Amino acid sequence: MSFAASVLVGGAAVGTGGLLTLLRRTFVAGLTVQAVGCALLAVGGIWALVADETAGNAFTSAFDLRIGIDGLSGLFLGILGAVGVAALVFATGYLEPSAKGRTIGALTGLFVLVQALVLVARDPLTFLVAWEAMTLVPAAVILVSRADEPARRSVFYYVALTHLAGAGTWVAILLLAREGAIGDPSVISTGSGLQVAIALAALVGMGAKAGVMPLHVWLPLAHPIAPAHVSALMSGVMIKIAIYGLVRVLVDWLGVLPEWLGLLVLALGVLSSVAGVVYALFQHELKRLLAFHSIENIGIIVLGLGACLVLRARGEDEWAALALAAALLHTVNHALFKSLLFLGAGSFEKAVGSLELDRLGGLVRRMPWTGAAFLVGAAAIAGLPPLNGFASEWATLQSLLHVPAFGGVGAGIAGALALAALAATAALAALCFVKVAGLTLLGPARREAVSHAEERAAPMVSGIVALAGMCVVLGVAPGLLLGSLVGLAPWSDAAPTTVGLDLPGTGVLRSGGIALALVAFAGALFLLRGRRVAAPVPTWACGQLVERPLDWTSAGFTKPLRLVLEDVLRPEREIVVRAEGGVVQEVSYEGRVPHLFEERLYRPVTALAMEGAHHARRMQSGRLGTYVAYLLALVLVVLAAAKLGILG
Amino acid sequence: MTGAEAASTAVQLVGGIALAPLLVGLVQHWKARLQGRRGPTPFQPYRELRRLWGKSTVDVAGAGVVYRLAPSVTAASVAVAVLLVPVASAAPDLGVGRDALVLAGVLALARFAVAIAAWEVANGFALMGASRDLTIAVFVEAALVLALAVAALVSGTTDLVLMVAGTAGTEAWADPALALAAVAFALVVVAETGRQPVDNPDTHLELTMIHEGPLLEYAGRDLALLQWAAAARHWLVLVLAAQVFLPHPTDPWLQLAVLPVVLVALCGALAVTETLVAKMRILLAPRLLGVAALLALLGVVVWLVEAA
Repeated sequence: MSFAASVLVGGAAVGTGGLLTLLRRTFVAGLTVQAVGCALLAVGGIWALVADETAGNAFTSAFDLRIGIDGLSGLFLGILGAVGVAALVFATGYLEPSAKGRTIGALTGLFVLVQALVLVARDPLTFLVAWEAMTLVPAAVILVSRADEPARRSVFYYVALTHLAGAGTWVAILLLAREGAIGDPSVISTGSGLQVAIALAALVGMGAKAGVMPLHVWLPLAHPIAPAHVSALMSGVMIKIAIYGLVRVLVDWLGVLPEWLGLLVLALGVLSSVAGVVYALFQHELKRLLAFHSIENIGIIVLGLGACLVLRARGEDEWAALALAAALLHTVNHALFKSLLFLGAGSFEKAVGSLELDRLGGLVRRMPWTGAAFLVGAAAIAGLPPLNGFASEWATLQSLLHVPAFGGVGAGIAGALALAALAATAALAALCFVKVAGLTLLGPARREAVSHAEERAAPMVSGIVALAGMCVVLGVAPGLLLGSLVGLAPWSDAAPTTVGLDLPGTGVLRSGGIALALVAFAGALFLLRGRRVAAPVPTWACGQLVERPLDWTSAGFTKPLRLVLEDVLRPEREIVVRAEGGVVQEVSYEGRVPHLFEERLYRPVTALAMEGAHHARRMQSGRLGTYVAYLLALVLVVLAAAKLGILG
Repeated sequence: MTGAEAASTAVQLVGGIALAPLLVGLVQHWKARLQGRRGPTPFQPYRELRRLWGKSTVDVAGAGVVYRLAPSVTAASVAVAVLLVPVASAAPDLGVGRDALVLAGVLALARFAVAIAAWEVANGFALMGASRDLTIAVFVEAALVLALAVAALVSGTTDLVLMVAGTAGTEAWADPALALAAVAFALVVVAETGRQPVDNPDTHLELTMIHEGPLLEYAGRDLALLQWAAAARHWLVLVLAAQVFLPHPTDPWLQLAVLPVVLVALCGALAVTETLVAKMRILLAPRLLGVAALLALLGVVVWLVEAA
């Protein structure tokens, strides 16, 4: 199969490029070879998806090393390759050929390779090994790039949480392997305890890796501190591979799940999307804010997945396939615009240093290409037509609407709530990205360094602009992909390829016509506006003096929402006024929106664990004799248990 | 194209583009009368548009292309919305589809363009308005999508033409689902048109502005485009209210004949509400719209129970 060859050659090129990157002389060539390899991965993957063919081995439950590729793997290889090309081309300008930069460059190649390995793994062993490596490699990248205390702490959280919760992935995959159910949905019967156990274990393990709330706390810690192109790969691709795992287990291998599991997935999607975007709104550092938006978008994807499971349980197979396709379309779209935004943030960071939102401003004038592409990404993630985010959110809304449309009071109410949640999420994302784009790109520069920012070199710009181009193309013609995505559901055939989204028995998204009309109208009106423009005047502001210290801030712009949601968010504020002899000398104000998941959910658990560790320490005497005694006691207990028949 | 199709296309385009300012004028006119003032004639918005169109545009020093493009983008997305919303169940597809959820999308784009331009001029009042508008929009969009969802469930599609047909006659109104959605949509109408109790279109206090805030720095043709867009929003939501969320006849010709009467009546209703109700505290508006969302949700529940 030629697409399999493309994937294999691509993988080899990424590996070779990674090695070349280690040498100072061949540093740029190495990154370029890696980028070419990624392009081959993308071509091979998309080819497999569109042709809907498989190559290599089929799935096996045995522990033999097997690799192969099918449509679903192909789709995610396409995502990995496309984001990988942009990130690596970007990296040729972003990384310096110092020892540190070379190591990061090589590790980037390794990161791409292990992710590709997860996607082509066809046996449980390869899958699990690659899965763990996919967690560890970015941790290594972060530790190479930064060795300060907060970064080490964040990496600890990241590795600890993804491994603790990641046990769920092992439980799910090993149970499936034991039953011989990997790749065979007919083995495990619907509604059996085993099926439910596997599904729940997968939701915990893979959900944590994807950043589904409430197992998300590692994500906003780990993603912002990685180098920009690795952040792009983590937010754009790595968490999507966890979605790949979820689709494999929940949709491909477990057959029809009971309806309540679908409703549980729907609830997780609502929680992640709404809470993700709400917490994103109150972040004041660009990369951390983007990380919270990844949680939101994973939530939107999970909403589509939940709709798919509910509809499948109800026997509405056609719409279940469409809901899955909507979720996968949003997966592609989020990969594109989120990696675009992370790469853009990386460019801004290189140009001006700190990414504190209140201290940027006016960057679109200093960096027109990066700035314009960033603006496209902001509009796409806000779910605005005619860009790709809108297309997939529209398809997800349609899927959610069809949950109540097929009746059933309980499921129907859940579907309607999810529908409202998604609409509110889109509006919240618009609020957030008006803030982000305004504070970074528009208005006056807010500190000295920003007013001297320079556009980055061509490689960095071209990676970002290419991603923006893909956002526009998939926004204008999402139907190019949707037809094949419908065919990825094991019970469904591919739908015909169109330009817009043509769903059966409901409205149609004429994305091409809408894009054309918007551009034509806006262009015509802009021309009609005429060239007759009066001389520029300073901001009027109803006669108020416009002073820099009175500039609006990130916290100010989101204050109305904070006040509306005060009962839920419980913001903290502290005002200290220092007066001397009745004259105010100094006023200090501090306000923050605490992350309630961390404070109410995780802190008690970690405190309890520390308490437990404190008690357990008494058992650790450090004397060999004591440990031998422990062993002896354990053996005796096991023997006694066996004798009494407790062990079966 | 049949006669009914041609007629509804004509009404849709002429009404959406040219008659929309009259709706705003009517509300202002009646509001003044109800308050015991003489007030401007209903044609005052046209005079203002003509005056603004004749004036030159003023660019704020330092503002870039985003600021200059915003009025055109806003007007263009509202124009696409005008193409989307049919006036009768016989309207043909005008190339942009007929989908109800797309309507929410293009209205969001219009809002986004104006709000983002507020950052360009760093005018505190503009940003205050933008921030409030987007905050309230969170609740408006949830309520709007849920209200549209009820109508979509009743008529079995999100295609607006089929929704107009599906909610026509008396049968669809036999159970209270659609009526609940209509109450929710009424509150959405108030918010989208920027009227009391959510917003005050006639305010002269910058601190109380929502929709007017981000428009403060614009002049000339830019302002004309934005004012037209605000008027066209009136047309869009009132036509939807008349042809989906209020009982209407099944025959397309009758629908077209009744539409002007209903639109005028709805303008009167807006004028009466504006006279009777004071503007709400800004932070209470989300609660009001939250109630709208809950009513629409109740509509879904009623529909589900009826369908079960």
